[in-house]
Amino acid sequence: MKIREKILVIEDEQTIRNFMQAVLTANDYDVLLARTGAMGESMIASHCPDVIILDLGLPDVDGMEILRKVRRWSKVPIVVVSARTHERDKVEALDAGADDYLTKPFGTGELLARIRAAIRHTRTPIGSEAVANTGIFKAGDLTIDYAKHRVFIAGQDANLTQNEYKLVALLGLHAGKVLTYDYLIKELWGPSARSDNQILRVNMANIRRKIEQNPAQPVYIFTEVGIGYRMIEGD
Amino acid sequence: MQQSKKAPLRFVFTWHDFGVFISLLVVATILCYFLRKIDDSDVYVALIFELTVVLVSRFTDGYLFGLLSSVVGVIGINYIFTFPYYQLNFTISGYPLTFLVMLIVSVVVSTLTTQIKQQEKIRAEAEKEKMRGNLLRAVSHDIRTPLTSIVGGVSTLLDSGDQLNEATRTQLLENIRDESNWLVSVVENLLSVTRMTGEQTKIKKEMEAGEEVLSAAAMKIKKHYPDIDVSVHAPQELLMIPMDVILIEQVLINLMENAIQHGGTTTRVELQLRKDGERARFEVADDGQGIAREVFPKLFKGYLSHDEELTADGRRNMGIGLSVCMSIVQAHGGTMQAENRETGGALFSFTLPLEEHRDENPRENSGN
Repeated sequence: MKIREKILVIEDEQTIRNFMQAVLTANDYDVLLARTGAMGESMIASHCPDVIILDLGLPDVDGMEILRKVRRWSKVPIVVVSARTHERDKVEALDAGADDYLTKPFGTGELLARIRAAIRHTRTPIGSEAVANTGIFKAGDLTIDYAKHRVFIAGQDANLTQNEYKLVALLGLHAGKVLTYDYLIKELWGPSARSDNQILRVNMANIRRKIEQNPAQPVYIFTEVGIGYRMIEGD
Repeated sequence: MQQSKKAPLRFVFTWHDFGVFISLLVVATILCYFLRKIDDSDVYVALIFELTVVLVSRFTDGYLFGLLSSVVGVIGINYIFTFPYYQLNFTISGYPLTFLVMLIVSVVVSTLTTQIKQQEKIRAEAEKEKMRGNLLRAVSHDIRTPLTSIVGGVSTLLDSGDQLNEATRTQLLENIRDESNWLVSVVENLLSVTRMTGEQTKIKKEMEAGEEVLSAAAMKIKKHYPDIDVSVHAPQELLMIPMDVILIEQVLINLMENAIQHGGTTTRVELQLRKDGERARFEVADDGQGIAREVFPKLFKGYLSHDEELTADGRRNMGIGLSVCMSIVQAHGGTMQAENRETGGALFSFTLPLEEHRDENPRENSGN
């Protein structure tokens, strides 16, 4: 018998719970439903789900609160669902340890893709299994060689500077996941760095001119406007 | 009705006004000083200071500096420029009259300018009110129509789904999905509007890379319209532009959706960013049917009214999307245009200033 992944959906809207249950069951997941934050919290502890889908706007507890509490003791992937379109909320959730976010309304395709990515990320502490095993990240023509500290495009050295390499390497490690501007700045320039996005933008522009065919139509590193960058999933 | 809230404080001191006051007086004094070297009659002195009083009244708020300049002017004239020079002599004939005239002029000009400024404000207020009304009307139409077909489609499927053949059922479901997606875009636009009006119409601008907004917007469109060929071009030079990136992304998405939904036969959309002097120029071009001539004059004017035959084909009105675009661009101090391309299709473009303006007064947004 196949062991199915257990997904806990914490969502107060009946209709959304219904539709998620239908989609997830149809796609071979075990679905647990929680109507309130309190219910959700106790189910996380008792059922140990493989993925949590957490609505931030719950009636009893703030979803952010649950997120922070769970992160104190568990690394279970959490995909945050929010109707709040303000990018600040998404950034806050990601920085508080959410693995990904979905903005309502979202399509079923998107939901499933995010869940798959989230599950993949837990298999290995770093983004992709391949990176963990071989020290190499590959996506299309892009190769990041973590041992040599080099990035290649179709076999050619992309000649990235040190900071540019660090940035690409970091995104590659967490391929498929959004890394917030703040997170990237802190990782690259230290915790005391000013939260000034400009230098990050300039670095990213340079990287894109070195690795993308058309920097304005990137295929490897995508911008999540107002939030951060996301590397395409590895092959 | 707003009178109580912003009752004009007629005697307010601001450093800006003080600066205007001082510099105008200095200019007038210097002018008089040099003129006296050329011609030592002093008839022009009073006139020059009279003009100064008018200018000060015009370019400062309230009465304070207008009155002050007439007082200073009168004393100054007396002291420096009229015989006997460098001493006050209040016995010159006609002197009280000069003083009185200057005083009256300054009061009259101050009153007039204050009134004009006030009327401007009231008009802007009314304009806003009108826009809000138009928007509400457009929105309720935009929401009601798709809701009707969603409710109708779902009821049909629930009540008599088993009597329908597979193709019809699929079609109904597809309609429901499309209509729902339409509602999503309406809501996105409404959120943009609240984002702008929430913080007193002053938007929060940050330096952002132009190419990133372009590519992010293009990605979203590609996800929604996989059949449309979207191409993006940005200059080799990185353009950092002060903007509210979420709002500008919304503008680009609206323009692309507009091109796809109203172009009729649109198969490709081209996004372009270039540097145009002191401005960044964004272009959204399509290969559709172009814009009908009778639509042009009302393109950005609030919304297209629904009783016109333009929407007779059941096509969505494009007003809300475009008027939201217009408001966003204007709030950034930019301008927006639409035209038909010679090769067919429509071209929408807007510009954003590359430099953040020092004064936060979004006065110069003359629009189109």
